[in-house]
Amino acid sequence: MTSTARSGSSAGIPLSAMLAHPTWHDVTLLAGPEDTRSIQHPVAAQDLAHPLPEEPTGRLLVLLGGADRGDWRLDALLRRAHGAGVAALLVPGVTALRMSSTLLAERLRLPVLGSPDPLAAYLALERMTAEPGLLRAESTLRTAQVCARADETVDALLTDLGALLHRPVALLTADARHLAGDPATVAPAEQDTVARQLTGPPLPRPLDLPSGARLLTHPVGTERVPPRLVVRLPARLAPEADAVAAALEVASGAVRERLALRRLDLERSARHRTSLLGELLRPAGGEIPDAVRRHAVEFGWRLDGWHTGIRIGTGPDVDVAGLRAEVTDAFAAERLGAQVVEQGDGWSAWTSTDQEPSTRDIERHAAAVRRVQRRLPEVLHAYVGVGRAHPGPTGIARSLGEAADAARLAQGREASGRFFHVDRLGLAQLLLAWTRTDTFQPAARSLLEPLSGEPGDLVHTLTAYLDAESSTAETAAVLGVHRNTVAARIARVQQLLSVDLADPDERLALHLACRTAMDG
Amino acid sequence: MPHTITAEDVPALVTGVNVLGCGGGGDAAAFASMLRHSLGETGTVTWHEAGAHDPVIVPVGVVGAVNVLSEKLPNGQEFREAIAAVTRWTGSPAPDALMAVEAGGPNALTVLLAALDLGLPVVDVDLMGRALPRLDQLSWAVRGLPVTPCALAEPGGQILVVDRTDARGLERTVRGFLTAAGGWAALALAPVRLSAVRDACVHGSLTRALALGRAHTELPHRPDRDAVEAALGCRVLAAGRIREVARSGGPGFGRGSVTVTDAASAAVVRLETENEILLALRDGELAATVPDVICLLDRRTALPVAIDRVRPGQEVIAVTLPGPEFWRRPDTEPYVSPRAFGLDAGVVGFEAATT
Repeated sequence: MTSTARSGSSAGIPLSAMLAHPTWHDVTLLAGPEDTRSIQHPVAAQDLAHPLPEEPTGRLLVLLGGADRGDWRLDALLRRAHGAGVAALLVPGVTALRMSSTLLAERLRLPVLGSPDPLAAYLALERMTAEPGLLRAESTLRTAQVCARADETVDALLTDLGALLHRPVALLTADARHLAGDPATVAPAEQDTVARQLTGPPLPRPLDLPSGARLLTHPVGTERVPPRLVVRLPARLAPEADAVAAALEVASGAVRERLALRRLDLERSARHRTSLLGELLRPAGGEIPDAVRRHAVEFGWRLDGWHTGIRIGTGPDVDVAGLRAEVTDAFAAERLGAQVVEQGDGWSAWTSTDQEPSTRDIERHAAAVRRVQRRLPEVLHAYVGVGRAHPGPTGIARSLGEAADAARLAQGREASGRFFHVDRLGLAQLLLAWTRTDTFQPAARSLLEPLSGEPGDLVHTLTAYLDAESSTAETAAVLGVHRNTVAARIARVQQLLSVDLADPDERLALHLACRTAMDG
Repeated sequence: MPHTITAEDVPALVTGVNVLGCGGGGDAAAFASMLRHSLGETGTVTWHEAGAHDPVIVPVGVVGAVNVLSEKLPNGQEFREAIAAVTRWTGSPAPDALMAVEAGGPNALTVLLAALDLGLPVVDVDLMGRALPRLDQLSWAVRGLPVTPCALAEPGGQILVVDRTDARGLERTVRGFLTAAGGWAALALAPVRLSAVRDACVHGSLTRALALGRAHTELPHRPDRDAVEAALGCRVLAAGRIREVARSGGPGFGRGSVTVTDAASAAVVRLETENEILLALRDGELAATVPDVICLLDRRTALPVAIDRVRPGQEVIAVTLPGPEFWRRPDTEPYVSPRAFGLDAGVVGFEAATT
């Protein structure tokens, strides 16, 4: 006898793909080879007592009832089905077959599938093979219904769409970063592959992954590099791919509309917050008007108590309104109840407490903010400054001012993780940093201008002299010159600059100027 | 022409009746040792073919679960009492000879035990020609001859005479009695002239069993398939390992199936059983059915193995032999075809089937 199985014609669909399809989620391979043969649309047999249906070649024979696992007629059916060129057999129930049936299925190379509901499996395959046009139409129609019904967030729409298609659905950026929907749509390891394939004109197109899965993508919106709506299909099942592609076309319009609405909403609320914070920071006439206080309460901002400002700076090309949610999420994840307001190239945020925070509270708070910074997306290149705690409504403005200065300082500090906290020690550094501002530095240089070009390193000597608290001997030792040389140079400095080094104000100004000149 | 059976013939006879037992009928070993004991060194049983003479004969046998014999021992009087009861009930003359009810399994030996006990000869005719499970499958019943009055004697001493019922009614009554009586009983049908029933009997089964057994003794240890086929006149369905033994209880006789894979071809041979082996499928195709004889032999010794003794992993040879001629006629076949056992399959004749 021959044990070669006839394979289905090219018109069929792969059995393995059908097994991976959600409508066949309860169909399992009970016996026989797990191969990639094609099956054509199904034929049904009532039970074991009935003869084979006509023309079963290349088709899935579905046994609708009367299949006791122990019945020898099941073995006889296997043999007859094989003889008639049936591509695979599906029997009711998923309990294991008898050994004889299992051995026979293997010997005949005839896959035997089981399902608790063979009729449902039959109908699902029938639809997939015989009525792909209907499948496509149904998919389109149901997607349209879902789009009309789902509530207004993109996430809700994608969730509903995923449930409809029984496949992971997500919205990705053009470089394959996850924006919304099921994160399982693209595994982190696949992101680069997907990003590479997404380059080029934004057209609906399938992407094949090394795992054998196929992504169907559809651009959303008309921007130059629009986000993509993506569905993951585990196997190649052409009718399903067609139906899903049709669904994506419908859904992409709905997603686009919701994105636009969300954007509008984001922009509007960002503008409100920003202008309210502006009024809080720069109160007209020094007093915060009642209307502003009332608005603040409406936003959930408390003005009394102690406030600690936090400034998160980022680049000018960052969508500050669009990414606010990520910032608030990061704060929430660290259990910091912070108000976050879009302001310029970044966000201003503050936390409020009833009591003045203790040193330990401040340390803990600063550590939490550092963790918030680490939670922010890498692409933001965020730099963060934290102010000191200040009380009352004006405390918000004060602390945010310090935080802004600290953030500026943090921006240049790669080594310290682009984070700066204005605590007791930090304040001195902050003051010093102020001497490096654009206005101070030219002033310092012009103050010391008369000393340039003179013989003897007068700026250096003066710096060392002031650092040494006006001790000539100490200065001489530091510079490695004679005491008299130091005295002569200082005398010349006083003369050139027309300053009195005994005057504390003049000493301080000169000291800062020297520091700036030396550091510069 | 009469033959005589001696103790030397017992092993061959046991092998032969076990082949005709078709895997069922129970283990003949207990009766075999009783028979050897009764025959002793010099004892004989006279064995006639159904020739020109016309004796009054009584069919005897054992009904019930023969395997409980070891638990419920015979008292040695069962056959004598059953024959006496049925003779007394009918007012017939005492029988001139005995015949077997069933020629397969231990029942083929009980007739010899009864003949030794009563000092009567045995006529080589019987009512089945092999092992079959039910009394409505007696050849007399199939041919419309009465199977009652019928007497049963159980080892506890009870005697039951059943009369005025058909074979199905007899079957029901006997089963009920056995449940109450402890599992088994000796059975004797009414005495009758051989000439009156000659055409309604299976002929020569015991001679066939003895011939099969003698042929078997010629086989070497671990015989190959050709040797087995040549010696027993059978066809080998599979020679290999038992892969599965499935038994299902339920009312009536226990159903079961045994799966053997052929070592040479990897063919999957499945045997469907109900006491006896009723049909064999080879790779899902019907290869043999009742009334042909299907049985399992041990692969090393080629001795028949009872179905209730087989275990997965055992090495066996599944064979089929032609069934009794009696059952292969249009009017008799329906009584012992697979459908008579509730199996939805036609009869595959030994000659028709090919491997």
